[in-house]
Amino acid sequence: MSVPPTAEGRTSRVETGLTRSVSTRLRGLDPRAYVVYVAFLLILAFFAITLSDDGFVTSDNLLNIVEQTAPISIMAVAVVFVLSAGEIDLSIGSVVALSSLVAAVVLRDVGLVPGIAAGLGTGVAIGVVNGLFVTLLRLPSFLVTLATMGLVAGLARSITDLESVAVTDLTFADVFGSGDVGPFPSLILWTLAAVAVGHFFYRHRRFGAHVLATGDNAAAARVTGIRVDRVKLAVLVLSATTAALAGLLYAGRLQGANYNLGSSDLLLVIAAVVIGGTRLFGGSGSVVGALIGSLIMGTLNNGLILSGLSASEQLIAQGVLLLLAISLTLREPKA
Amino acid sequence: MRTHRLIATLATGAAMLVLAACGDSSSSDNEAGGSAGPAEIKSSKSVGQTTGPNGEKATPTSALKLSVAEIERVKAGGYTAALTWHQSSDFTTAVTAGAKDEFAKLGISIVATTNANFDAGKQKNDIETVLAKKPSVMLTLPVDPVTTASAYRAANQAGTKLVLLSNVPKGFSQGEDYVAVVTDDLFQMGKQAADALAAAIGNEGKVAYFFHDASYYVTNQRDQAFKKTIEANYPKIEIVADEGIADPNKAQEQASAILLKNPDLDGIYVTFSQPPAEGVLSALRNNGNTKARLVSLDLDEPLALDMARGGNVTALVTDKAYELGQAMARSAAYGLLDKKAPPFLVAPATTVTKANLAEGYQESLHQAPPKSVLDATK
Repeated sequence: MSVPPTAEGRTSRVETGLTRSVSTRLRGLDPRAYVVYVAFLLILAFFAITLSDDGFVTSDNLLNIVEQTAPISIMAVAVVFVLSAGEIDLSIGSVVALSSLVAAVVLRDVGLVPGIAAGLGTGVAIGVVNGLFVTLLRLPSFLVTLATMGLVAGLARSITDLESVAVTDLTFADVFGSGDVGPFPSLILWTLAAVAVGHFFYRHRRFGAHVLATGDNAAAARVTGIRVDRVKLAVLVLSATTAALAGLLYAGRLQGANYNLGSSDLLLVIAAVVIGGTRLFGGSGSVVGALIGSLIMGTLNNGLILSGLSASEQLIAQGVLLLLAISLTLREPKA
Repeated sequence: MRTHRLIATLATGAAMLVLAACGDSSSSDNEAGGSAGPAEIKSSKSVGQTTGPNGEKATPTSALKLSVAEIERVKAGGYTAALTWHQSSDFTTAVTAGAKDEFAKLGISIVATTNANFDAGKQKNDIETVLAKKPSVMLTLPVDPVTTASAYRAANQAGTKLVLLSNVPKGFSQGEDYVAVVTDDLFQMGKQAADALAAAIGNEGKVAYFFHDASYYVTNQRDQAFKKTIEANYPKIEIVADEGIADPNKAQEQASAILLKNPDLDGIYVTFSQPPAEGVLSALRNNGNTKARLVSLDLDEPLALDMARGGNVTALVTDKAYELGQAMARSAAYGLLDKKAPPFLVAPATTVTKANLAEGYQESLHQAPPKSVLDATK
């Protein structure tokens, strides 16, 4: 990402600056920015009509969708920052598994607060390792996190020798995923909190602007005084810590942890983020969009199961509907 | 992402019956066996047995019986079923087919089918989702006894009867929380693999043992049964390599290393066929090794083709997956009728060799062997 400034680079920066100011103004008018919401509503409407007799539109089922996608939505918030900064974090799925196991073991052997701290601490530590390799050694995050993905998965497998660990602490289970606060399941509150905080920092705080500037053009960002390395370190710590939080939520919801948790999450998270309008290669994004992206993936999965299709047919239908959805939302205008 | 797909190709298996079939050692360079003709697989003494999760004694699936009046009562109920599987594979396809055919006879319609890709989190989501359709019964293989238990509790509370395949959620008891658990005769499967490999190498020689290095009831039981049988019943067979396969897609690399260290191997056991045994077979081919006999568990086209052509593969021990599905559906009817089912049911396994390929496919998956395999046997 550290491209030395060249004459070409300067030209493109000027152009980027110009086009961005125009596009910012245009965005208010550009319907494509809102198409993801429309696509989500269309998918909801489609299933509400076709599955009206199959329990899709019950409040239980709709709450289910939000609860089931909570870990994905929460990780997606952090990954918006990572992708916006022009980086990627492939280790999040493995972090989910390891942090859930660490939390469950410490919770069982020591207690509630140490368990939570150990789980989250695992995420912070892995994020710091990822971040330091990327910034100090100037390595691509793709390769660094690919390596730590394997390393962390191996640790998760060995820490309890593949055994699952049950979570019997009901306070932990209630706070992280199994309980309700008033009429709201705790998972929904976690999701809303993550999205609200994420959106606030992404859109309304300097940190978000620095992240976007870093992803747009790291060299230019550095020239303007942004501490690019610090931004990269921060987003990688953020994503690993959020993955650890997702691990705690899984452990609370399933009342147990095992080495396979999160194994199917990485692509779902990245898909949710990109569907939600974040560029895969940095420079722009949307936290609320990522939440909608996650809900789209969850709704598709839920609706297709309720439609009674076989597992293979569900995969095909999911692929087709996803292609349709992204054709609507992510189509680049002709140059 | 890869890992779950890799693991997702696991299958179950087992056997009550001891089968004497013909092993193929047609390869003329099978020096260890000392004979070029087919070796008869003899059943050795059983040094263990498949027991239920709480030590229950196994009952053969053939013991499940429904009277005409009972079938009529189930039919009149207008019941529905959901299938929440751990993965998709030809194994789950065959179990599903068996269940579907049996459900059709019972007038029960299948309203949802899911695949968790071995992810406990996804399986919990799947279960919650299908509960929206209020199925009367659920046939399922719990990915993990600990982390899926809360989801099955929810199914219980919704009044859905559970019939389990192979795994039992932690803290669940038969009769109250589930109707019955059905599985393969896992010990017999491993034992039959040991007997088949021993026959192929003339009961003596050096063997490599590739086991599944994961916490997974089905493969763990089968692998241990193989090893126990070899150690107890075949004193002249030496396990010279004890290799755990953690990532089934990397078996080829592991096998290449083992072949390099042990060029004089007589036999190889691989925990399951696709993908690890396929990987081991390609390592053998790359190595130009036509001597080592290969035995694995579960049917698989490339391995069956090699066996049909008289290659390294000498036997594939497989379960009767279709029959498992039928037994699960029938157990579901027991649950709906409030009739007490045997707690732990096992479906028999079968040893498939070149001599009984067509029958083996029929017994296990309820279908003919792939065309390539049939052509090769002609």
